[in-house]
Amino acid sequence: MAVKFFGQFLVEKGVVSREILLQAIELQESVNLSFGATSLAMGILTEADIERVHNAQRIEDLRFGDMAVKLGLLTSEQMMQVLARQKNTHLYIGEALVKVGGLQADELPKYLDEFKADQAQYTTDTVVIPSGITDSQVWEIVVDLSYKMLTRVALLVFRPEPCFMSDRVPAMDVYAAMNFSGDISGRYVMGVTAATQNKIAKAILKEPNVDNEPKEILDDTVMEFVNVALGNIAAKAAQSGKSMEIAPPEIIEAPDGIPVPEGHKALCFPICLSDGDRIELAVFIQQ
Amino acid sequence: MKKVLIVDDSISVARQLEKILADSGEFQVVGHGKNGMEAIRMHQTEHPDIICMDMNMPGMDGLTALRTLVALDKNVKVVMITSLGGVGDKFTEALRLGARTVISKPFEAENILKILREI
Repeated sequence: MAVKFFGQFLVEKGVVSREILLQAIELQESVNLSFGATSLAMGILTEADIERVHNAQRIEDLRFGDMAVKLGLLTSEQMMQVLARQKNTHLYIGEALVKVGGLQADELPKYLDEFKADQAQYTTDTVVIPSGITDSQVWEIVVDLSYKMLTRVALLVFRPEPCFMSDRVPAMDVYAAMNFSGDISGRYVMGVTAATQNKIAKAILKEPNVDNEPKEILDDTVMEFVNVALGNIAAKAAQSGKSMEIAPPEIIEAPDGIPVPEGHKALCFPICLSDGDRIELAVFIQQ
Repeated sequence: MKKVLIVDDSISVARQLEKILADSGEFQVVGHGKNGMEAIRMHQTEHPDIICMDMNMPGMDGLTALRTLVALDKNVKVVMITSLGGVGDKFTEALRLGARTVISKPFEAENILKILREI
């Protein structure tokens, strides 16, 4: 029911044990070398060169290969050779599980098909992100998975409105927010009316009626929804090579809306529910 | 009946888990901690058979608590239940630190019960 990677899927199904999966991951880590380690193994960079690249990366945000070329340590052609070597020798987790005896080679295609079918619901659909935003692929994941979680976890029927940039998100009864950091940093916010909060609470608590629930519980369900959405977004972003660390969720009071903090841009992607209510969704993207 | 300690800063998740476990008739929830420190303290006082613990919590997070719990009791049975389960690095780190398994949120009742029965 959530975004997963193949090894986790197999452990959850009971196909492989945690011990076997850890053995396979250790094998992967010994085979799938970093760009620097691959260059070292190919004899085209020295350890001193690698340290020089790492030091330069602390000052400028460039990938290892690009930085090595910029510093004149590698030619573009050599960089491509290293990338090709990495690609050609890459060991996928399924192959690693076969090598450590956790799976039979002929079973692998069947489990890969089952995994693809399980995860098909989380395949990113096309979302139009305003132009001029870096890492647009990640924001597409954020927007698209938010919609999917609203459907599957909050059980809401809605129509997405076009995405746009803004310097303020409008007032709503309740806002839940979560900060994230890593390859991309910012703040995810979701604002709901009291009526929509009740719908989310019913779905999260799996209760037909939440009229007598205290505010603390109702607020907690909105925070938990945001936590589940952003956790799954982090999992999907990691599959695209972007790390996201997430902080615990919080409720914020915003009777006048929320101004976008200095140094941030807000990507807004509100939705309109079938009953005419709205949910305000936005990410404050650190510039 | 196996005793289970739930550790999650979300009261709605704790309530949902407690209902699933109580309805099964196979597990008794002996407490609800809201962060890693409470997990360590309640492990000493409640002596649960299984700890179901979130990763992302204010104060001491789940992975830090897991490291301490395993150092205190190498036989401790911890299942991480987290929205970060699909993040490969987090999943692997939890297993390496000694978690019995990692369950992603949103979770299904049948899956939770199946895993806890097998531990």
